[in-house]
Amino acid sequence: MKIEIPKSALLEALQAVQNVVSIRTTLPILSNVLIQAEKGRICLTTTDLDVSIQCRVDAKVLKGGATTLPARRLSSIVRELPSADIEIEVDDKDTAQVHCGSSFYKIMGLSEEEFPPISKAEGKFCYTLDQGAFREMLRKTAYAASTDETRFVLNGVFLSFKDNKLVMVATDGRRLALVEHEVEFPAEAEVDLILPSKVAAELVHTLGDNGELRIFTKDNRVMFEFGEVVISSKLIEGTYPNYRQVIPAQCEERVAVERETLLSALKRVSLVTTEKATAAHLTFGKNQLVVSMTAPDVGEARETIPIKYTGKELHVAFNPEYMIDPLKNLNNDEIYVELTDDLSPGVIKCDIPFLYVLMPMRVS
Amino acid sequence: MSHANIRVLPENVVNKIAAGEVVERPASVLKELMENALDAGASRIEVEIAAGGRKLVAISDNGRGMDRDNALLSIERHATSKILDVDDIEHINTLGFRGEALAAIASVSRFRLTTARQGDVSGTEITLSGGKIQDVREIGGPAGTRLEVRDLFFNVPARRKFLRTQQTELTHIRNTFTFQALAYPTVGMSLTVDGRVMHQLAPGGAQAIRDRVRDLFGEDYLRQLREVAFEGNGVKVRGFAGLPAFSRADRTEQYLFVNGRATGAPLLGYAIRAGYHSLLPRDRHAVMVLFIEVDPGSVDVNVHPTKKEVRFRQPSEVRDGVIAALQGAFAMTTTPDTMPPGISGAEFAAAPSRGSALPDLQLAIDDLPPSRIFRYPRIPIQTTDGSPPSAMHQPFGPGNAPPRPAGVGPPAPTESESGVRPQAADVPDADAPWSWCRVLGQVGALYVVLEIEDGMVLMDPHAAHERVLYERFMNRFTEGKILSQSLLVPDTVELNPTDADRVRRHTDILRRMGIGIADFGGDSFVIDALPAFLVSVQPKKLLAEIVRELEVGGAGRARGKLNESALIQASCKAAVKSRDALTLDEIEQLVIDLAGTRMPYTCPHGRPTLIYMSFHELNKKFGREH
Repeated sequence: MKIEIPKSALLEALQAVQNVVSIRTTLPILSNVLIQAEKGRICLTTTDLDVSIQCRVDAKVLKGGATTLPARRLSSIVRELPSADIEIEVDDKDTAQVHCGSSFYKIMGLSEEEFPPISKAEGKFCYTLDQGAFREMLRKTAYAASTDETRFVLNGVFLSFKDNKLVMVATDGRRLALVEHEVEFPAEAEVDLILPSKVAAELVHTLGDNGELRIFTKDNRVMFEFGEVVISSKLIEGTYPNYRQVIPAQCEERVAVERETLLSALKRVSLVTTEKATAAHLTFGKNQLVVSMTAPDVGEARETIPIKYTGKELHVAFNPEYMIDPLKNLNNDEIYVELTDDLSPGVIKCDIPFLYVLMPMRVS
Repeated sequence: MSHANIRVLPENVVNKIAAGEVVERPASVLKELMENALDAGASRIEVEIAAGGRKLVAISDNGRGMDRDNALLSIERHATSKILDVDDIEHINTLGFRGEALAAIASVSRFRLTTARQGDVSGTEITLSGGKIQDVREIGGPAGTRLEVRDLFFNVPARRKFLRTQQTELTHIRNTFTFQALAYPTVGMSLTVDGRVMHQLAPGGAQAIRDRVRDLFGEDYLRQLREVAFEGNGVKVRGFAGLPAFSRADRTEQYLFVNGRATGAPLLGYAIRAGYHSLLPRDRHAVMVLFIEVDPGSVDVNVHPTKKEVRFRQPSEVRDGVIAALQGAFAMTTTPDTMPPGISGAEFAAAPSRGSALPDLQLAIDDLPPSRIFRYPRIPIQTTDGSPPSAMHQPFGPGNAPPRPAGVGPPAPTESESGVRPQAADVPDADAPWSWCRVLGQVGALYVVLEIEDGMVLMDPHAAHERVLYERFMNRFTEGKILSQSLLVPDTVELNPTDADRVRRHTDILRRMGIGIADFGGDSFVIDALPAFLVSVQPKKLLAEIVRELEVGGAGRARGKLNESALIQASCKAAVKSRDALTLDEIEQLVIDLAGTRMPYTCPHGRPTLIYMSFHELNKKFGREH
């Protein structure tokens, strides 16, 4: 194999794929990036067996072929090379010679045959969305997923393609985030998937602002194809709990609050403690909302926010993190907080099809 | 005035004395009656209980039945169909043989025996009260025997007083039933308590034991067990043994059978411990259902009047058999179905090789550096006067430590210094464990190795985390400011009757601890909120740990005085166990938090959290100093 490629193009492609490369792996081949050269393009692939990322990039292919090279090492070297064309030539023992200007490197690789097979982006049905829209959906939900490994079905984002809609849900049993988006697909293509959190994070990181995203699913895997990149992942097996049952059917009070104002008030009051298990107290009075927090060894904080409210006085306590998470991932100026009493779940809504249910804290 | 002449006691007095040995409580009545039914070849046994067995213990079987003469003889003392002379004692295959059970039970209750043989036109009904025959008559009825024992100890007030609450007696009864149900998986059995069917067990087929275990304890329970099978040296061992992670604080869930008889022997306890060698911590006990079969001639069951213990003629063969059976079952400790599906193939492949000496306590720091472990900057966990740590004892002084690569590793030292430990100044200097430390690595897939200013420290992160949680929780508890986080979906937890009873008695304390627990009827509980400190814990696990604590603590302490701290300890233990992977950042935070506790050197249960070795000590060991 022999290729020639501008430094910037190679670096960009390497950076797109290197996130799944594990530092600590028992299989040395998984630290490597698979490089395949054919007809004016090279294709870079990395995998950790669960997730794989593929990125294609144009290059001058002087001689076709394939090899694998240590991904992070190669990426570090390329980053430091001068901005010029890089020539990589690989011999039949998978040793790569890298020339760039006056620099020369010899890097030992492993045979491409050792690289685990990668599933193609294919499936019976294809779901097409806008990249930016999908990324926004993930951003608005993924933070609510559970990290408790014993509840593995909750360690991901639930994607339900149904009734020409994609519903995305994540929950950790304390709060739940849900967002919907219109998608066109045939009725027989309805499907439920649980996408691992790791992949959700990778997608948020790699997806662009616009352009088409095509999603395929086959044999308990899911493939995301966008631009020159394909991300493929195992799905979490299992049945996602019936999330509809936790969404309150009605509420007694609905209050409009400026998102930024509430967010920064919550962030500020949280500064009085470093403890994770803490409660932010929200008191809704006549045309004002008081956000307060007390820390036993430090002191207390109180922020008053003007709102339009004439309902009954309501007091409720939430974990501030659970409130900050959705607020910082939404873009709307105004959100609606729906409440009933201090023991019932609170709901955050806004002008888009987004819904967030969070359970209050009680002081016993 | 007293004439202490020796005389032969009247029959009814002898029976009452025998009753004292055999009939301790309703559960022992049930045991004797079930054994009789099984010896009569029954394939279907129905048990009815009322008021914890005080009002009624009734058992119907479809066994052989008796004719009138035999029926009358059966309630005579030492009347038995099971042995003829003393030689037979050596070859016992039946369960009962001493021939005193029915007479003894009849002497302390209102007793009714209804029996008919297969093919007989009519059966016999005998009614007794306090051992005296009230009525004998012919009746019609199906083949088999029905025994009703009502008002146990009605004529022995002294013993009646010693009966415990209905709930306790019922627990014993259910335990007895469980033992018999396990011993005879091919016999259909049912247990009805106060009109409610508790168990309806179908006669087992090809997988009788497996089915019976599942029917009694549930599918989840079965999943935590591994099948055990061993045969050799005249010893046959089979059954199911619990995975090490599914252990208990005591042995109540070890169901052991020797030649089909529920029993125990000190030898077996020892063999089980040896079989789980190093898989279980000292204070934990495996769950198991184990059948041991040996030649009936080589086991002495007549050691104990209620046959609770047996003695083996060839103890070492039995012991070796049990050990071999258990080791065989756990030779592959990580079978694929115990791994959550989220775990990748690579991690799975790596798992068994990592610290196989401590499989129950594995803990992985996800992002330890691969080879160069001296990269990390120090964590100043305590800066009482702001002075930098002295460099005189540092073989790898701060100057030598290369800067850590961007984007990898712990927060910069300044972060910890400025924000994380506002209470550092509160800790008196004398108590300060050390003024800085850094994480070097991990050994045995568990212990964290730290370097500190004047030596090396090994930390057990589980114990350390337990200490940190415990103190936080306890502080808040004494302030009465426990925060509890409600759950979106309440969790229902089903307990066994003994445990349910214990939990029921302590719901008040549990609620004050921030656990939103409510009785859901039967032996189920609903948990709709958890203490905010224990966010990641699973309600089921939490309750199990608390139950164990109640079980161990409840016995020693006066009722109602079981202290909250023990329960909080148990909760923390559950919370810590639920985490088996920590990131390096978390480890560092743990060290910082631990340094802030009042008693950083032990976990709440008294085990050490840290083991310290000074450079002085190391130097001595390497012969650099004397």
